[in-house]
Amino acid sequence: MKNIYEVQTSNKIKSFVIVAIFVAFVFVATYFLTKALGYYMGYEPGGLGYLGLALIISGVSSFFSYYYSDKIVLGISGARPAIRTRDFNFFTVAENIAIGDGLPKPKLYVIDDTSPNAFATGRNPEHAAICVTTGLLSKLDRTELEGVVAHEMTHIKNYDTRLMSVVSVMVGLIALLGDWFTRSMFWGRRRDDREGNAGSIILVIGILFAILSPIIGTLIQLAISRRREYMADAGSVEITRQPQGLISALEKISSDPSPLRSANRATAHLFISNPFKNNKQKGTGFLTNLFNTHPPVSERIKLLQEMA
Amino acid sequence: MIYVLIAILIILGFWLVSTYNFFVTTKTRVGASIQEIGNQLKRQSELIPNLESSAEGYLKHEKGIFDELTSARKAITSAVKSGDLNKMADAGKQLADVLPKIQVVVESNPEIKASEVVKTLMDELRDTSDKVMYARRLLIDLTADYNVKMVTFPSNLAAKIFRFEVLKGLETPTDGDGLKVSGEEMKTPKVNL
Repeated sequence: MKNIYEVQTSNKIKSFVIVAIFVAFVFVATYFLTKALGYYMGYEPGGLGYLGLALIISGVSSFFSYYYSDKIVLGISGARPAIRTRDFNFFTVAENIAIGDGLPKPKLYVIDDTSPNAFATGRNPEHAAICVTTGLLSKLDRTELEGVVAHEMTHIKNYDTRLMSVVSVMVGLIALLGDWFTRSMFWGRRRDDREGNAGSIILVIGILFAILSPIIGTLIQLAISRRREYMADAGSVEITRQPQGLISALEKISSDPSPLRSANRATAHLFISNPFKNNKQKGTGFLTNLFNTHPPVSERIKLLQEMA
Repeated sequence: MIYVLIAILIILGFWLVSTYNFFVTTKTRVGASIQEIGNQLKRQSELIPNLESSAEGYLKHEKGIFDELTSARKAITSAVKSGDLNKMADAGKQLADVLPKIQVVVESNPEIKASEVVKTLMDELRDTSDKVMYARRLLIDLTADYNVKMVTFPSNLAAKIFRFEVLKGLETPTDGDGLKVSGEEMKTPKVNL
């Protein structure tokens, strides 16, 4: 039995460790990839170099999705703004949780979809938005809705959109460098081997990193995403003090068979529960879990019950 | 050697500044959260007469409850005026006591239950008491953050240097019936329907 504060401390530590591992990995991977690329191309470009170039390309594309995250995601999902009279429970619950958190009330949207789900986005609490489906509003009672909205509010409070954007810039960077390196091996002209062994070792390491690092990077990215879900669950309990609300909400959401129509790979990690429902048949298998944006619902419920 | 000393001094300075800022920021936010409680109670006292007048027609025969509701509202108004946190909490409790009574009336009378007006009344009443509860939650959480830093090492040293004091937060009695369990309460209550 752990109390909510112990859970939060251990979550913070674990999250920090994963992010630190990720940063170290990105550092090592980019170092070897640029080294191998430079060696293969026969020269190190001055100024920014390959690393700078890859960082700019990966950064610019991700910056827009980060800076306009609220608008882009809502545009894709086809959401309408929530109205107080029509979505009374959702609107007022969000107002109340915002009071409890001491944050401004986020913009609220509703997606017309029978699959119950919810997500939060926005680069900071001032530009945050919470979006729920009509299925969620019709299936959950007020207490369960409080649990879900508080979960999303914790994502906002923890700046999770910002963190995941930075992480995806880094993963994009490694993928881009690896891609350049393998392409240059296919199309580039190999220069005369004057440096002997040292050169070929760098090449082998470069090939290894080019093949493996996009996969490893993505796996760490998913691990971070899962850790943030646990943190949001704990944060939800901290505000509402009613783990039972979120537990029964998660049960209802996960037992619903229909996948969300408007979700895609890019937005999957934002939702409260995996919108593709692909974790249904395999359960908690280690490998299945490794490739999921969300921890298995049974595991989340177990942890929530310990806090109750 | 001298550089190491200077570096340590700079780090110490940064730490001192950030700890000082934590204390004063949280103190200001605690003040704001107390105002928020008053704000929500004021909203409540303005909201309820409107709800009352719109629902009264449906509940004519349950006059007694409305009298209680009115007196609860008056207590809130005077408590907000006095600015006393304890009085505010008491007044909020009075309203919370009336709520279940209304629920009983509504649920024992399907005609009333079906009425949209009464449903709105119930929703709004629950929402307004939730709002006051969450406003208090913020005060409690902020004071807890502040007071934890007051007693834990090393921030307690900075607190001593700047002479910060422990905040009271939501004042609750530290003794009395609320913290005792009587033999009667140990029995599982039976619900008769």
